[in-house]
Amino acid sequence: MTNSLSLISSLAWRNLWRNKRRTGVILFAMVLGVWAMIVTASFMRGMAIQALDDTINNLTGHIQIHQKKYLDDPVIENSFLSNDETLLTSLAHTDIVSWSKRLRVPAVISSERDTFGITLIGIDPKSEARLSFLLSAIYQGNYFSDNSDKGIIIGKKLAEDLETKLGRRVVIMSQDKKNELADRGYRITGIYDTPQEGMETAFAFMTYNSIEKLLKTSQLSSEIAIITRSLDQVPATLSRLKAANPDLDIQSWDTLQPFTKLIEEMYTDFQYVWHLIVFMAMSFGIINTLLMTIFERTREFGLFQALGLKPRFILAQVWIEAIFMLAIALVLGNLVSWLTVLSTGDGIDVSAFAQGMEMAQLSNIIPFIIVREDLLLANIIVILLGLLTSLYPAWRASRLVPANAITRV
Amino acid sequence: MSTNWRFAWRNIWRHPRRTILTMLAIAFGAALLVFSIGFQLGQYDLMIKGSVSIYEGLIQIQKKGYLDEPKVRSSINNIQLLAKKLRNKTSIDSITARANGFALISSEKRSYGTLITGVEPAYEKLVSIIPGTINEGQYLSSDSAREMVIGESLARNLQIKIGDELTLMGNGRDGSIAATIMPVTGIYKSGSKELDRNLVQIPIQTFQEIFSMGSHGHAIVFYHDNVKNDFAFKQQLNQLITDRKDLVTLSWDELQPGIKQMIELDYSSGWLMYLVLVAIITFSILNTFLMSVLERTREFGIMLALGYKPFNIGKLVLLEAFLLTIFALILGTLIGLAINLYFYHNGLTFEGMEEVASMYNMPSTLYPQISFESILIGPLVIFIFTIISAIYPAMKIRKLQPVEAMRKI
Amino acid sequence: MNDKQSIPVVKCLDLTKTYIQGSIEVHALSHVNFEAYTGEFICLSGPSGSGKSTLLNMIGGLDTPSSGEVYIDGEEIDELNKSDLADMRLNKIGFVFQAYNLIPVLTAQENIEMVMQMQGVSKHQRNRISLDILKEVGLEGLEKRKPTELSGGQQQRVAVARAIASKPSLVLADEPTANLDSDTANKLIDLMLEMNKQHSTTFIISTHDPMIMRRAKTLIKLHDGKIAEVINQE
Repeated sequence: MTNSLSLISSLAWRNLWRNKRRTGVILFAMVLGVWAMIVTASFMRGMAIQALDDTINNLTGHIQIHQKKYLDDPVIENSFLSNDETLLTSLAHTDIVSWSKRLRVPAVISSERDTFGITLIGIDPKSEARLSFLLSAIYQGNYFSDNSDKGIIIGKKLAEDLETKLGRRVVIMSQDKKNELADRGYRITGIYDTPQEGMETAFAFMTYNSIEKLLKTSQLSSEIAIITRSLDQVPATLSRLKAANPDLDIQSWDTLQPFTKLIEEMYTDFQYVWHLIVFMAMSFGIINTLLMTIFERTREFGLFQALGLKPRFILAQVWIEAIFMLAIALVLGNLVSWLTVLSTGDGIDVSAFAQGMEMAQLSNIIPFIIVREDLLLANIIVILLGLLTSLYPAWRASRLVPANAITRV
Repeated sequence: MSTNWRFAWRNIWRHPRRTILTMLAIAFGAALLVFSIGFQLGQYDLMIKGSVSIYEGLIQIQKKGYLDEPKVRSSINNIQLLAKKLRNKTSIDSITARANGFALISSEKRSYGTLITGVEPAYEKLVSIIPGTINEGQYLSSDSAREMVIGESLARNLQIKIGDELTLMGNGRDGSIAATIMPVTGIYKSGSKELDRNLVQIPIQTFQEIFSMGSHGHAIVFYHDNVKNDFAFKQQLNQLITDRKDLVTLSWDELQPGIKQMIELDYSSGWLMYLVLVAIITFSILNTFLMSVLERTREFGIMLALGYKPFNIGKLVLLEAFLLTIFALILGTLIGLAINLYFYHNGLTFEGMEEVASMYNMPSTLYPQISFESILIGPLVIFIFTIISAIYPAMKIRKLQPVEAMRKI
Repeated sequence: MNDKQSIPVVKCLDLTKTYIQGSIEVHALSHVNFEAYTGEFICLSGPSGSGKSTLLNMIGGLDTPSSGEVYIDGEEIDELNKSDLADMRLNKIGFVFQAYNLIPVLTAQENIEMVMQMQGVSKHQRNRISLDILKEVGLEGLEKRKPTELSGGQQQRVAVARAIASKPSLVLADEPTANLDSDTANKLIDLMLEMNKQHSTTFIISTHDPMIMRRAKTLIKLHDGKIAEVINQE
């Protein structure tokens, strides 16, 4: 049996190269197909991963803690005490890499020239630096040196809109704990710049000290953002924190920003469909090409049968030929895909579509990322479907009646 | 000539299975493209319409520079007069004047920074859907009433109900403090969380009084159902304000560039994928065309010996490819069209659509666009690719020598 | 016929084959009865359409009769499934066709070794046997050539070599000399007769060629799908 198999394999291989042009054409189609599958998958994966990174970096973190009513009504009433014993103990766990507390309130900022509504965020400079984008986004001036820093940091676009600049003063107006209006002046000590202009006009930062003075609060926080050791760690840490602090609203990034997760799921679904479509496009060519080679070699197959080759080995011969084709296409396709992704470097620059990307919550450079699962999916689909579709022509070849085959001109 | 057509037709059906497979490949591609492009374009239509009709309008006339730096002082004088003149000259009523500002709104319990707009209630109804989404109380009654309309989320956050009074505080046009107290007479639910949380509407003359605007406003907003005609409308409006060099007309894509960019990005990446798919299908069927020429070498040799010119044989082969392709394209297009028609009447929804749709101001049911563009452009591209690929085998015929050809078996 | 063995190598009983061509019913074979014993060298002759090729196909199990039975070495081949039929052809029968005898992508030696490879013969042995046989048929030195690099006569000789290399008890040849010049044809038949003498291989050859008709030990004339005449020429 193995003798026959090795005979057939060497026949299949040689027959593949009998008509180089034909084999070349169908291989090209197949390599193109594999390439299309892997490259689109890596692009979508890049978008999804990018969106996830951005979400986590832009203040969200892996897990956030709020008072139960806060997310619906983000006002100062709905804050919680951040010096609670139980809370602090549960945060001092090794699975949490860093955490930072914030006091967020709606406020109004005015320069000499104009007035806008913003969200004012009081931060603890040291812990915030470990958590979010702010430190690295400073464009002019300085980040807060420590908690006693009296300045305010605003976004570049907001500074432009207010027609003000570094060093000038602005007035912040907000509602304090007693429901009274509080307003104070602050000097702009830092300006930050992020790709998302929406953020720049929405958020202004001051130290915890400053905001507590403004709002006459002590130890109150609107939210605590947490970074865990890894993304996989999140569910475990989440349940632990929830169990320890049942009165607080504790959620992870995927429920806080369901859009990100949603996009990822949509992409995965889309991938399946796209892979199937690409394969179908290829399959017509594969089947047709195999049928044509069989047609050409009808006489030969008749001869094989006359010489005593069992029908299933005729099927095997054609099938193995298809398997060789699939193997070559997969190897080349994977290689070309990998090279393509490598050549894109950090990713493609879509800053020409900046505002559009911002709307879709994506940044301006989309990386191509090949992930093992995606690679496996594409290859497996091609192998499985390839084996299935080539079975049909192979089966047809084995059904030839020898006499008819031999006498056919 | 007609004999050639008949000859070509019969030649195609010499190998029915092969021809059917080839046709299926083309039809598959055509149906897929028709379906996909139809839905893409339909989605864009919905996105544009949604964004335009909710609040921003199709076209706005603003003071030059206002779009980038929306300052209170960047205003248009005699704005209501101008809006009236435009309505008269164009005989279109869905043109309205607005004045925009920013203020702190306070209820007994809460304060928020919000956008305030002064509107012409009678015409605002024709331009934006917001007046029609009042679900508690009523919309504004006149240009100068002391009434306020706010979004549902804002009402909830302020913890007020119809009839309650709110304090309004902001900066007037002349730099003075603008402050007043007014009752909430209507609550709307627009479907956009952004607007519901941030937008407060009051009558335009009331606004002008509070903010010391005189007869000034900030934008004239134009809306028309025929969204595709935006360029023509823009020209029309431009003509009518040639005397006002300080004003500019802006269409929706300038007002909300993000949307247009997203559409462009989506459409181009869609086409990238379509082209890859079409290339795969083309290469898949290239072999069929090649084979059908090569296996008839002997036959062509005889034809040459009988006096046919190589050019004519080439024409015959192209004719075969043409017939096969056209037939398959018609089939595929009809199938795609049928599917689109079905969804045109019934709409398409799938899981997860709701959240995504609300982000882009779209309804959660998708409808395909049925137009010449959406139906024909896909098949046209396939046709071009296929015919080009048929040229290669046709060219091979030109090099045939009769005797050599006939010797081949 | 002769007193060698009581079980004939081939036995055909009331063999009939009818098929439809277009709208006409063609009676290729009509109630043919036929036997062949070990060591016989039989020539089937007759005009086109007389049924010689059809009879050969029946015997070789390449086609099935409309009615009647075929026995090879006493075993009814109609009962065999495709797999067993293939085994039978592999081990008991060798074929030589008029043309297209060889697999184009294999060399002359590989073509000869092919059947042995399927039979499970070791590489070393296959090699030895095939080279020996190539020498016997006068093609020494040409073992690495592909069929396209061999002349018509050389190809046929390779085909005969392959047919006998696997040591079948029966060789069926359909018009083996049709495309050869008379000199080469003669040499081919010399070869076959030699094999027949040396190994008692039964040969059944269908042909138009008068040279073969003269030299065969038994001549069977077919006409309109029936056996018209049997002539013993030994």
